[in-house]
Amino acid sequence: MLAILPQLLYTGVGIGAVYAIASLGFVLLIRAADVVNFAQGQFSMLGAYIMLVLLVGVGVPYWAAFLLAVVLMAGFGVLFAGAVYWPLRHRSQLTVIISTIGASILLPNAVLAIYGPSPATVPGLFASQGFRLGSVFVDSQYLSIIVIAILMVVLQYVVFEKTLLGKKLQATSQDKEMAAMLGISVAGMVLFTFAYSAALGALAGVLVAPVLFVSVGMGATLALKAFAANIIGGYGSIPGAILGGLIIGLAETLGAAYISTPYKDAFGFVILLIVLLARPRGLFGELIAEKA
Amino acid sequence: MTGINRRAMLLGTAAALAAPAIIARAAETIRIGVVSPETGAAAESGQYMRNGINLALDAINEKGGVLGRKLEIVVADDQTTNPGAVLAFSRLASDHSIVAFIGSIRSTQVQAMAPGVLKTAKPMMIGGTDPKLTHQGNRWLFRCRPNDTYSAKTIAAYGVQTLGRKKIAMIASTDAFGTGGREALTSELKALGITPALTLGYANQQADFTPEVLQIRSANPDLITSYFTYETDLGVFAKQLRQLGVRTTWLGSPSIVDTAALELAGPALYGTYGVADYAVNASPTSKAYAAAYEKRFGKVPDNQSSWAYDATNVLAIALANAKSTAPEAIRTAILGIQGYKGAEGTYDFDQNGDGLHGYSVVQNQNGKINFIKYVEFPKPS
Amino acid sequence: MDGATAPPAAMLAKLPAARWWRGMPGTVLGLIGACVIAALAPGQGYYLNIIMQAVTYAIGVAGLVVVLGYCGQISLTQAGFLGIGAYVLALLTTQLGVPFLAATLAAMLICGLFGLLLGFASLRLGGHYLAMVTISFQVILTLVLTNWVGLSGGPDGVSGIPRPAGFASAHAYLGLCLVLLVLVMFYAWRLKLSRLGRAMQAVRDNEIAAGTCGIHVFRTKVVAFGISAMLGGLGGALFAGAFSYVSPDQFTFDESVVMLTMALLGGVRSPFGALLGTFALVILPEWLRFLKQAYLAVYGGAVILIMIFVPEGVWGWAAQRFGRGARPIGEWPVPPLPLLSMRGENSGENALEVADLAMHFGGVKALDGVSFAVRRGSVHALIGPNGSGKTTFLNVISGLYRATSGTVRLGGTTLDRLPPHERTRRGMTRTYQNIRVFRGLSVLENVMIGAERPGNDVHKPADVMARALAALDFVGLRREASQPVGSLPYGHQRYVEIARALAGSPEVLLLDEPAAGLNSTEKQELGLLLRRLKGHGLTILVIEHDMKLIEAVADHITVLNFGKCIANSTPREVLRHPDVIAAYLGEPQPA
Repeated sequence: MLAILPQLLYTGVGIGAVYAIASLGFVLLIRAADVVNFAQGQFSMLGAYIMLVLLVGVGVPYWAAFLLAVVLMAGFGVLFAGAVYWPLRHRSQLTVIISTIGASILLPNAVLAIYGPSPATVPGLFASQGFRLGSVFVDSQYLSIIVIAILMVVLQYVVFEKTLLGKKLQATSQDKEMAAMLGISVAGMVLFTFAYSAALGALAGVLVAPVLFVSVGMGATLALKAFAANIIGGYGSIPGAILGGLIIGLAETLGAAYISTPYKDAFGFVILLIVLLARPRGLFGELIAEKA
Repeated sequence: MTGINRRAMLLGTAAALAAPAIIARAAETIRIGVVSPETGAAAESGQYMRNGINLALDAINEKGGVLGRKLEIVVADDQTTNPGAVLAFSRLASDHSIVAFIGSIRSTQVQAMAPGVLKTAKPMMIGGTDPKLTHQGNRWLFRCRPNDTYSAKTIAAYGVQTLGRKKIAMIASTDAFGTGGREALTSELKALGITPALTLGYANQQADFTPEVLQIRSANPDLITSYFTYETDLGVFAKQLRQLGVRTTWLGSPSIVDTAALELAGPALYGTYGVADYAVNASPTSKAYAAAYEKRFGKVPDNQSSWAYDATNVLAIALANAKSTAPEAIRTAILGIQGYKGAEGTYDFDQNGDGLHGYSVVQNQNGKINFIKYVEFPKPS
Repeated sequence: MDGATAPPAAMLAKLPAARWWRGMPGTVLGLIGACVIAALAPGQGYYLNIIMQAVTYAIGVAGLVVVLGYCGQISLTQAGFLGIGAYVLALLTTQLGVPFLAATLAAMLICGLFGLLLGFASLRLGGHYLAMVTISFQVILTLVLTNWVGLSGGPDGVSGIPRPAGFASAHAYLGLCLVLLVLVMFYAWRLKLSRLGRAMQAVRDNEIAAGTCGIHVFRTKVVAFGISAMLGGLGGALFAGAFSYVSPDQFTFDESVVMLTMALLGGVRSPFGALLGTFALVILPEWLRFLKQAYLAVYGGAVILIMIFVPEGVWGWAAQRFGRGARPIGEWPVPPLPLLSMRGENSGENALEVADLAMHFGGVKALDGVSFAVRRGSVHALIGPNGSGKTTFLNVISGLYRATSGTVRLGGTTLDRLPPHERTRRGMTRTYQNIRVFRGLSVLENVMIGAERPGNDVHKPADVMARALAALDFVGLRREASQPVGSLPYGHQRYVEIARALAGSPEVLLLDEPAAGLNSTEKQELGLLLRRLKGHGLTILVIEHDMKLIEAVADHITVLNFGKCIANSTPREVLRHPDVIAAYLGEPQPA
C-alpha cells in the first residue's frame, strides 16, 4: 500500500490547494469585516457558471473566459456586500451570518432556475490531462491549482506586507475606528475585501470545475471544507488557511486510502476537533482575539 | 458554505408542493399525483421524469384519454430529500381527487414515502430499484423498473459467466440505493462462489476519487462493478480511473449509461459495460420511444424518463381495464398486466408489484450505447 | 440591618417579576389551546405533517433560544441533537421494546450527556469555538448514522417507530406534542426570568463582568448547552414518533442551519420568537410555491430582507413596536442596603492584603512586586500615571489575570489560585473603567445579578429583588429600574454598575476609575455618593485620576509607577512625596 503513497500525496496536496484558495477568501472577510460568509462556496459555483456561459454560450476564448469570470465575480462581490452585508454592518455578527445563509440559498437556486439542473464540463487549463512522473500521474489541472495557490500566497504576502493598500487593509482589519481616524476609507477597504474575496472564490471555482464539473451543488462541497481549513489553521490567519487546506486535503486522501472510504469527509473534521482540543487557537494562532 | 442549496429547508419542503389550486375541471379529468425532484441534487432527474410522463400523457390524451376522461398530472417537488418526499406525498395524498401516484426513481425517497402510501391506500408507481421496497408487505407500490436483485443477478451472471471474470472489485455509494445494490450483488456473487476482492463505499458528492481508484489498482481486479448514484461522482471516478492507468473491464449499474454521465465523463467511459433497464436498441418499443423522445426533447432518452413513460402507460391501461378509479380495482388491474411491451421491457407484474424481471447488458462504444443482450429471469411466483 | 423593616411582601407581590405563578395563566390558556388545535387539526395528510414537523422542531428550536438567545453561544448541531434523540427513541422502541415515555427520557438524557461532553470540550474558550466544534460533531454524526449500519440501520434509517400507548391516533399524538410544546415554552420563558437565566444572559452580554459578579461562566455555558441539547433530544424523540420513520438525511448540517435561521428570524431572545420563526419558515416557502422553480431563490432573498428590515427577529420587532413598554416600579419602601463591612468600623484590621504581587506580560513587568494593605472600613485610593499598572493590578486581584507571583488575601483567605467568581463569592465586587453592564437586560435585572452574588445574605427571589431595589434607591435610579440599561445616559450606567456591586453586599468594593467619562456635574454627584459610602464604613479600593475626588474621600493613598509601589501613606503625605511629584510631572496628568 506504500506504493500508492506518492500519488496520494500529490492528489492530497492538489485537492488541499483547492480548499486553501477557497479558504483564503473566507479568511479575508473574517479579518476585514468580521463576516463569516456562509455563501463563500457559492462564489465558486457562480464563478464556474459564469465561465461556462462565457465559454460555451458566448464563445469567448478560454483564457478570456477564465479571467473574465474572476473579474466579473469581483464586481459581484461588491454587489453582494451592498445587498447582504452593508445594510447590516452595524448589527450583530449573527444577523450578518443569517443574511449570508439567505444568500447561500438564493444563489444556487437562482442558478438552478435560470440555467437548469444539468451538470456540465469545462476543459482544463491545458489540453493534456497530465503526465507520468515515476509512479505518479501528475494531473495537469491539479498542478495548475497548486501553482496558482502558491502564486496567490505570494501575491497575498506582497499585497498585504509591501503595499500601502495592504497596510490600509491590515489597519482596517485590526481597528476600524483607528483606521478611520487615520483617514483610511473603511468602507472602501471593506468593499475591496468583498470583491477580492469573491474573486478568490471564483478562482477556486473555475480551477476546480474541470475536476469536479460545474454543478449547482459544487459550492456546498467546497465551502464546508474551506471553513474547516480556516479553523484548523487558526481563525482569521492567512498562512493558517493555506496550511489548514492542505492538511484537510491530505487527511481526506490518506484517510480514505488507508482507513475508510465512507468516512472520508470525517477525517478533516476529526483533525479539526483534535487541533481545537490540543491547540485551541489553531496552528497559526488566532488573530481576532477577544479583548479582555 | 452550506449545502442548503440542495435542501434549502426541511420544512420548506412544503414549498415544493407545487399543487395548483383545486380546479373545477377536476371531475372531468383523472388526476395522477407525481412526486419528483424538481430542486436539489437530483433536480435533473426530475426533469427527465416529467418529460417521460408528459410524452405518455399527451399520447393518451390525444386518443381521448381513459374511461372517456383525460389524464392530468399534479407535480410535487420532493427536493431530493426524504423529509421533502414525505411532505410532498402527504400534500398530494390529501387531495382526494388524485387516484394514483407516480413516485421517485430514488429508493431512499420511496422508502421514506412508503408508510404514507400504505396509509393512503392508493397505488404508486415507483422507479427506485432497492429490492426491499416491494418486499416488505406494502401492497400499493408497483415498480416499473427491474429491481436491483435483477441488476445484481445480471452483473454477476454476465461478469462471471459470460466474461469469465473471477477477481471482482465493487464500489458503491453509501446511500440506500448504493447499499442495497452492494448487498444484492455480494449475495449474487456468493451464489456463484465468489467473494469480492475489494468492496468500497463512498459518500455522495465527492470532489476526488484518487484513494478509491488507487485501492482498486492495488487490488488488481479483473472486473470493476459499481453502483453510483450521482453522475458527477461517476464522472470524477471514471476520469481518475483512466488517468491513473486502470484499464480493467468495468460493468456498472444503470447510471453508467445515463445521458448525463455520458456527457460528463466522455471518453473515460468508452468500452465500459453497463446493465440497463432501458436501452435504445433493446426492442422495437424502446426504439420507438427513443425516436419520439428525441423528436420532442432533442436528446436521447435514458431510464430516468423511460420508466416514468411506462409508469404512465401502465396506469392508463390499468385504469382502462379496471373500468374504475377505485384503488382496489386499479391494483388488481395493474397486477393483471402481463406481456405489456413498454419502453423498458415486457411487463409481467408479480404479486410483489414488480413489473420487470431482467436487464439489458449494453456497452459504451465510443460514446454510443450498444445493446448486447437482454437477460431475463423467471418472475417469482 | 437590625433596624430594617420587614420585607413588604404584599407590596412586592405586586411586581409581576415576583409572582411565583407568573406566566401560569397564559400556560393554562396555551394548554387549552393546544387541546383545541389538536382536536380540530386534520387527522391525516399534508397539513397534519406540516403541523407535526413544526411543533416538534419548535421544541428543538427552543433549545437554541436557551443556548444562543440567552447564553450567546452559537451551536450548529441542533439538528444533530434532534437526530440523536430521534434515533435513541427509534432504536430503543423498535429494537428493545422500551416504552415510549422511558425511551423519550433516555433520548433527552443521552442528548444532555452529549451536550455536556461537547460543552466541556469547547466552552472553556469563548466566542466561536462552540460553533466550530459543533459543526465538526454534526458532520461526523451524519456520517456515522449513514455508515454504522449495524447500529443505525444505515441510509435506510429506522421505520415502524411506535407511538406511546393511548396516543396512537393523530389527534391524540398531536395533542401530546402540543402540550409538551406549551410546557417547553413556559419552561424556557420562566428560565429567562430565573436566577440561572439571568446568569446566562449576563454571560451572553459580558463574560468578564459576569465572572466578577460571581457567576461561574463555564458552568453556566455548559448547563445552557446541556439544556439546549436535552430540548433537542425531546424534539427529536417526538419527531420520530410523529413520522414513525427516521433516516440520517433528516438531521444534517443543513437542517441545523435551518433551525438556526428559524430561531434568529423569529427572534432568538424569546421562546415565542423562536416558535414564530419555526412556523413562519414553514409557511413562507409554502406561500411562495406558486413561483415554481424560483421559489427557493425567492425564499433565500426573503431571509436576507427580513434580516435587513427586522434584524432583531420578527418577535423582537413586534415586541418593540407593540410592546407595552417598561412599566415603572412603584415607590414602596424596601429595607435599606445593609453594608456588611459596617461591622468592621475602620478597625485597623486588614480587609485586603497584597504581598509582592507581580504580573509580567512577556518581558513587560506591568506589576513588579507590589505590596500594601487596605484596612477594613477605609477608602483606599490607588493612583499613578497612565500605564503605571493600576488597572492591571485590579484585574489581577479580581482574578481576571493570573499573577506571575505574589499573594492576595481577602479577610485572611488567600485568593491566589481562585477564578474571578470564587473571589467574588468571598466578598469582592468591582466596577470597570469601560462600563461593563449587561446590555440586554433591564436596570433592575443588572442589579439583581449583583444581589445574587454567591455568599450574599439574600436568597429568595423577593428578597433579591428588594435588595436590588435598595441598591438602586441608594444610587438614585429606582425610577429607571425597569428601563433597558442601554437606554440610560453614560453616567447613569456607571451608577448601575456601582449599584450592581453594592447589591452584593461586598466585603471590599473595587472601583476602577469611576469618574472616567463623567462630566463635572456627574463627578460631583459621584463624589457625594462615594462620601455616603464612606459614611457607611464600606471598605473601598478606588483607582482614580481625579485628584479632587481622591482628596475628598481617600483615607489612604498608594501610588504606583512602572509597576512599583512608590508611596503608600495618608493623602497629605503622599501628595508631598518627591517621587510622586516627579512621577506626575514626568508625565502630564490627563484631564
